[in-house]
Amino acid sequence: MPEQFHPGTGAQSDVEISLREVSKRYPASDADAVRPLSIDIARGEFLVLVGPSGCGKTTTLRMINRLVEPSGGEIWVDGKNTAHVDPDELRRHIGYVIQQVGLLPHLSIGENVGLVPKMLDWSKERIRQRVDELLDLVGLDPDTYRSRYPKQLSGGQQQRVGVARALAADPPVMLMDEPFGAIDPITRGHLQDEFLKLQARIRKTIVFVTHDIDEALRLGDRIAIFDEDARLAQLDTPLAILTSPADEFVRSFIGDGAAIRRLSLLRVGDLPAVPETSTGTGIEVDPGETVSAVLEKILAAGLDSAVVRGRGSLTVQDMLLATAARDESAVAS
Amino acid sequence: MTRALSLRDNATAPAPAEAAPRSSFVPPLVAGLLVAGVLVYIQVADLDAIEARSLAFGELLVRLGEHVRLVIVSTLVVVALGVPLGILLSRPAAGPLQPPVLAVANAGQAIPSIGILVLLALLYDVGFAMAVISLVVYALLPVLRNTMVGLRHVDRSIIDAARGMGMGSRRILFTVELPLAVPVMLAGIRVALILNVGVATLATYTDAGGLGDLIERGIVFYRMPILLSGCLLTIALALLVDWLAGVAETRLRPRGL
Amino acid sequence: MSFVDYVAGNFEIISFLLLQHLQVVLLAVGLATAISVGVAIGTERSPRARSALLAVSGTILTIPSFALFGLLIPVFGLGVAPTILALTVYAIFPILRNTVTGLEHVDSAVIDAARGMGMSSGRLLRIVRLPLAWPVILNGIRVATIMTVAIAAIGAAVRGPGLGELIFRGLARMGGANALNETLSGVVAIVAVALLLDVLFVLIGKITTPRGLHA
Repeated sequence: MPEQFHPGTGAQSDVEISLREVSKRYPASDADAVRPLSIDIARGEFLVLVGPSGCGKTTTLRMINRLVEPSGGEIWVDGKNTAHVDPDELRRHIGYVIQQVGLLPHLSIGENVGLVPKMLDWSKERIRQRVDELLDLVGLDPDTYRSRYPKQLSGGQQQRVGVARALAADPPVMLMDEPFGAIDPITRGHLQDEFLKLQARIRKTIVFVTHDIDEALRLGDRIAIFDEDARLAQLDTPLAILTSPADEFVRSFIGDGAAIRRLSLLRVGDLPAVPETSTGTGIEVDPGETVSAVLEKILAAGLDSAVVRGRGSLTVQDMLLATAARDESAVAS
Repeated sequence: MTRALSLRDNATAPAPAEAAPRSSFVPPLVAGLLVAGVLVYIQVADLDAIEARSLAFGELLVRLGEHVRLVIVSTLVVVALGVPLGILLSRPAAGPLQPPVLAVANAGQAIPSIGILVLLALLYDVGFAMAVISLVVYALLPVLRNTMVGLRHVDRSIIDAARGMGMGSRRILFTVELPLAVPVMLAGIRVALILNVGVATLATYTDAGGLGDLIERGIVFYRMPILLSGCLLTIALALLVDWLAGVAETRLRPRGL
Repeated sequence: MSFVDYVAGNFEIISFLLLQHLQVVLLAVGLATAISVGVAIGTERSPRARSALLAVSGTILTIPSFALFGLLIPVFGLGVAPTILALTVYAIFPILRNTVTGLEHVDSAVIDAARGMGMSSGRLLRIVRLPLAWPVILNGIRVATIMTVAIAAIGAAVRGPGLGELIFRGLARMGGANALNETLSGVVAIVAVALLLDVLFVLIGKITTPRGLHA
């Protein structure tokens, strides 16, 4: 994969983006839009910033590529202090996707995707190949879409192009500001799924802003929850946030049904299964499937257990108990 | 003078309006300075006989009077004709007439003002009355057009609401449509007024006098003092009239709009 | 002599003046376009200067053209120079206004995305903002051109070039045999030039508007 700028899991521990006491205060205001914030984001990590409007999540994101200049603190990307890098140069190596997509309406889809490579002086041939490769990657047939114009595409298709454009020069880092926010719920679900699969292949370091906690729980390796006063309320994995919300704000922001939501975050392969004694007692499932998906299948088939390929069998009761047990261990750790 | 002014009201954005409040004292100030400068110059300068005669204070007042009379009379006629006509043309019954009238109104912008003035003079007569007719023909279009456009652009839902509370169409016209269309109509009248100030400078060519008389005489006799005085006084008048029209426009606009 | 006969008999002089008229207008509008676009871009960082210049150029439009033509005589003499200069000054406002409006109204999401991918402000202007503002700018140029065609007629009062001369010649021969025909041919030719240019601008607009904006 050409996208794998930092291949392998060994690089996971490296810090790609480091926010160090970063803050933002606008001249006309007497409160911080972003309070001094320190987060280290690992290479290949998917970090979601979530919170109500006005919590500073978008400002934080835009400080990383210097579309907003921080008032205090430092931001390091790939071992360099961004304050000492030419902002245009910096941005050419950071993918940027926004809710309104912002495709240039007078350029074709191909030209839009090829903009950054063109600015980086790639050869025409190399740009052409890259454009086709990327359109393919985001599920748009290059021959059909290359010469179309943005207005001829649906919102969901436009955002696919937006993602392809951000990936064009193979940046190690992607900043995404509510990229699926303006898209109808069904398409949004598809795009989220596809994007997770894509990320599994390309392993970018992603900072993703949303106000939708469900989207955050679904996509993020870690989630940073901010409250209205731009205070970082909690920074943790989705499971840990559901299991043990840091305070009342986080609890209310998550809303009801935390226990049920956990089922869609756990995978059956992570649960202790009973080594198989006899075959054919239940439907077969992959270890990578989520507990909620497997429960759904079992109930739909009128059975009470499933066989996890290569692991053993799990009953409905096993799954529910094991989920609860994992919660306790998550709380303990 | 220019058809140009009518172009102002198809402005996509009211760009100059932003600067208007701050600089609104500037045009009358400049106008005052121009008038004072010209008067002082006439007193001080060493004028020959032709210049002295043309620039005598009484002579200037006569020219100014002719000019202002042309502008006022023709603007009144334009409003008296253009507004009712615009209202009639905007009634649903006149629907099919609207596009051709608007098309003619737009195409009319391409006719040079001096052309209308001279053609009418050649066809009929010279003098004040004919000049007024030329000015009216020329300035009618923006008033007519803005009245129609203003009425047409009144929010349909407001008219619907008025109908829903039982207003008749006449009452709707006078209590809803016309007040809401006033800003656009006023803009059209202002344009007509400015056009008239400009075209009236050319009325000298058809023996209707005005400040253009000085400019023309300055050119014909190649006397710079007469030419410059005529130009500067005309510019002062135009600035002042536009400023007054702008003030009136703001004052007359219904509150809340 | 009928109007048609007159035009046929004087075709050469009419077409000569028409060409002159066209040249003067296009030169003035070309100059005004260069000045307006330059000013609009040059004042991007100073909104006060920009709105002041807009206000001044707007106020200039209220000045009677005969007075402005006359005012330039002492400096530039009679003829071509004051005509072109006055027409240029008049043509600035519609173009400047539309350029400013066009540049300001480019979708902010598009600009954000372009900056986010690392475009310098010069490149942003060249490949994003100007192309997207172009239809609005072009419309300003069209409006300025049509207006200038009509004003240019008055240039003949200061011995300027163009079709206005026919109008004034007719006036000078008031009562003469061909006075009306002379003036009428000037007026008709001017209107024809305006309509021709209007059609031309529609075509230019069709050709030069980026394809993606039509779709």
